[in-house]
Amino acid sequence: MIQYFIRRLLLAIPTFFGATFVVFMIAQYAPGGPYEQQLNALKKGQGSEGAGSAFGTETMAIPKSQLEALQRYYQVNKTPFERYLIWLGILPRPVNDYRATIGEPRNVGGGLRVIVQRGGDGSYRVVKADDPTTVLDGWYVDLSEEPNSVWVYQRSQRGILTADFGDSFTYRKPVTELIASRIPVSAQFGLIGFIITYVVCFYLGTQKALKHGSAFDVVTSSIVLIAFSIPGWALGAVLLVLLGGGSFLELFPTGGFQSSDYETLNLMERIADRTWYFVLPTVAYTIGGFASTTLLMKNSLLETLGQDFVRTAYAKGLRENRVIWLHAMRNSIIPLVASIGGIIGIFLAGSYLIEYAFNIDGIGKLSFEAVLQRDTNVFFAFAVISILITLVGSMISDFVLALVDPRIRFR
Amino acid sequence: MSNGSDQSKPLTINQRRWRKFKGLRRGYYSLVILMGAYLLSFLLPLLINSKALMVSYNGEWYSPAGRDFLKSLPLVSLVAPPSFYSGETFGSAGDQAEANYRLLQQQWDEQGSDNWIMMPPYPFGPNEDITLAGNEKFLAPFEADGNGFARWLGTDDRGRDVLARMAYGFQVSMTFALLIAILEYLIGIPIGAMMGFFGRWFDLLMQRFMEIWSALPFLFLIIIIVSFVEPTFSLLVFLLVIFSWLGIATQMRAQFYRERSRDYVAAAVSIGVSTPTIIVKHILPNTLVPIITFFPFAVVGGITALVSLDYLGFGLPPPTASWGQMIGVGLSNLRQYWLVLVPFSALFATLTLVVFIGEGIREAFDPKVFSRLR
Repeated sequence: MIQYFIRRLLLAIPTFFGATFVVFMIAQYAPGGPYEQQLNALKKGQGSEGAGSAFGTETMAIPKSQLEALQRYYQVNKTPFERYLIWLGILPRPVNDYRATIGEPRNVGGGLRVIVQRGGDGSYRVVKADDPTTVLDGWYVDLSEEPNSVWVYQRSQRGILTADFGDSFTYRKPVTELIASRIPVSAQFGLIGFIITYVVCFYLGTQKALKHGSAFDVVTSSIVLIAFSIPGWALGAVLLVLLGGGSFLELFPTGGFQSSDYETLNLMERIADRTWYFVLPTVAYTIGGFASTTLLMKNSLLETLGQDFVRTAYAKGLRENRVIWLHAMRNSIIPLVASIGGIIGIFLAGSYLIEYAFNIDGIGKLSFEAVLQRDTNVFFAFAVISILITLVGSMISDFVLALVDPRIRFR
Repeated sequence: MSNGSDQSKPLTINQRRWRKFKGLRRGYYSLVILMGAYLLSFLLPLLINSKALMVSYNGEWYSPAGRDFLKSLPLVSLVAPPSFYSGETFGSAGDQAEANYRLLQQQWDEQGSDNWIMMPPYPFGPNEDITLAGNEKFLAPFEADGNGFARWLGTDDRGRDVLARMAYGFQVSMTFALLIAILEYLIGIPIGAMMGFFGRWFDLLMQRFMEIWSALPFLFLIIIIVSFVEPTFSLLVFLLVIFSWLGIATQMRAQFYRERSRDYVAAAVSIGVSTPTIIVKHILPNTLVPIITFFPFAVVGGITALVSLDYLGFGLPPPTASWGQMIGVGLSNLRQYWLVLVPFSALFATLTLVVFIGEGIREAFDPKVFSRLR
């Protein structure tokens, strides 16, 4: 079994790279990314300083030095594949990138002053300004397009593989920090939704199996399937109109996550406040999740109840409850337990459609806005995390399945 | 159906399944209602339209709604004549904009003129907004507009008729979802079949590919792609299909994988039947059950995907009437309850019918018989 999991793990690695590669490449071709936004901002800045001609703003040239700095920052001159490797952290990216004139001292941050010297053989070296005999390690030099000028920089291999997602373009904050601040919101929906779904599905599936073919069975089947089909956010819209102070009752707030005076409340009031804001989105969020697990539970229990060992248990005179709950159930919950890998998904839960509809600042809304504003680092972080969760989730499922069902042997 | 054929020839399994399906009334009637409504929706330009069905003006006959109908048909639309007539055509001097047939009808009636207009049963179009005289924003259901015409289900934030948009939205949703489901099958079935039948490196390679594909956040990718390629109906169909064929392919793979180890396949191979014949004529009919029972849920998937994309504003280009866009407008105008409730009811009814059909089909094709003591 260990062998199986090692193989599973190894197969997940190419999948991870493949999926991130596709996402990265598609995003590369989206216009209006951070580079273009900065470029436009520069152009506008130039236009307002200049003669003020409306046509001038479009054609106004950006100073070469600024353009070059921008291009270097966003690695515009690299191929998309190189950019992908840099993003991953396999290829180094330039950091602390400064323009310097050859032979003149340049402040490079941290109180350090350097001088770039051209050697006799055309190579460059970076030395301390105070002490030109010390050659500094870890500083590199690229030629600039402007005469007599170079870029002096250090290299860093931070990237996705070192869990460094960079900074958000719109929020000017590290992406990791941004996502960490939103996770509690989304995880609350995920956790509560997960518990509700499993409790309801277990109970409903069992009852449906025991009353197979009855009116209860037929009606609940239709209900869970219809609930599965309706998009949760659309149901949320109806709930808002009916109960959320839209046109009829005003039982629940129209949206948001907590009251504005949340900080002043005591613990009990806080819990009540959260719950109050929580009801409608949670209904919208969980409503679609019952169908598959309920039917899984039902079919699995039905199948077990038809097996010989159940017949034997009845035959030797055991009470019905004992047969069902002790003998049959243990074998029937295996598929239900196997789907537990989905629990890891709770951290990203609360789909962006629902967060958008209810105006909740969770991860979903964050990443949807990141897509709209071309905040690529945030979007990439979301994509990477969701890809990882998908992969890890299915691995956990397999692992748990192997734990609860000793009959399962992996090839 | 005559009963005479029953004795002479036994029914094929598919005939028996169809009979069983017809016997399950809920699913069968749902199918009849949904198909009826869908076929009827092709006549929408003649039923719900702001343009006149028939205009008789100074001895000449015009039918702008009829021309709209021709334009709405696939292929015919390429040669259909334009349905636009300016107000000037019908005597309003200097009016280059489209004729306002409802007002013309009123005018001609009042003047007792020989000219007459026959309007469609519900004379409001899905895309006419406040720029047209008399239309008003946020009319409640059955409230009369500026010209005294009652709007059965009110108007939206731009003065467009909600009933008309809901009806046209139904046609768009169904066409879109059916197309997606069919194309998804055309791609998913052959690929899944080949994976299951040939196995080995092809299977392994495709499985890795599908794993990658299914790990992608596909709605976000569609949003990104749509932002730099003009979103048209066919582009959206294409994008959703390339992300949604995985489900059926996985099912077909499992089916073919199981079937190919059966004796009848070995027998067919041993007498020299060609591989394509084995796949299509011998194995495929045995895998019909998941194909057919899955279809209604593929349609459900298509409808909900379109609704969600339209809601986010990355679906069909405006002013196409679509339920997602309508609910989105409703969400930002919660006090106008009909803006949410009308499209949602339509969505709910459609999805419910599809689910009932799906349950009926599953019952007819895949009756699970469980035997249990007590």
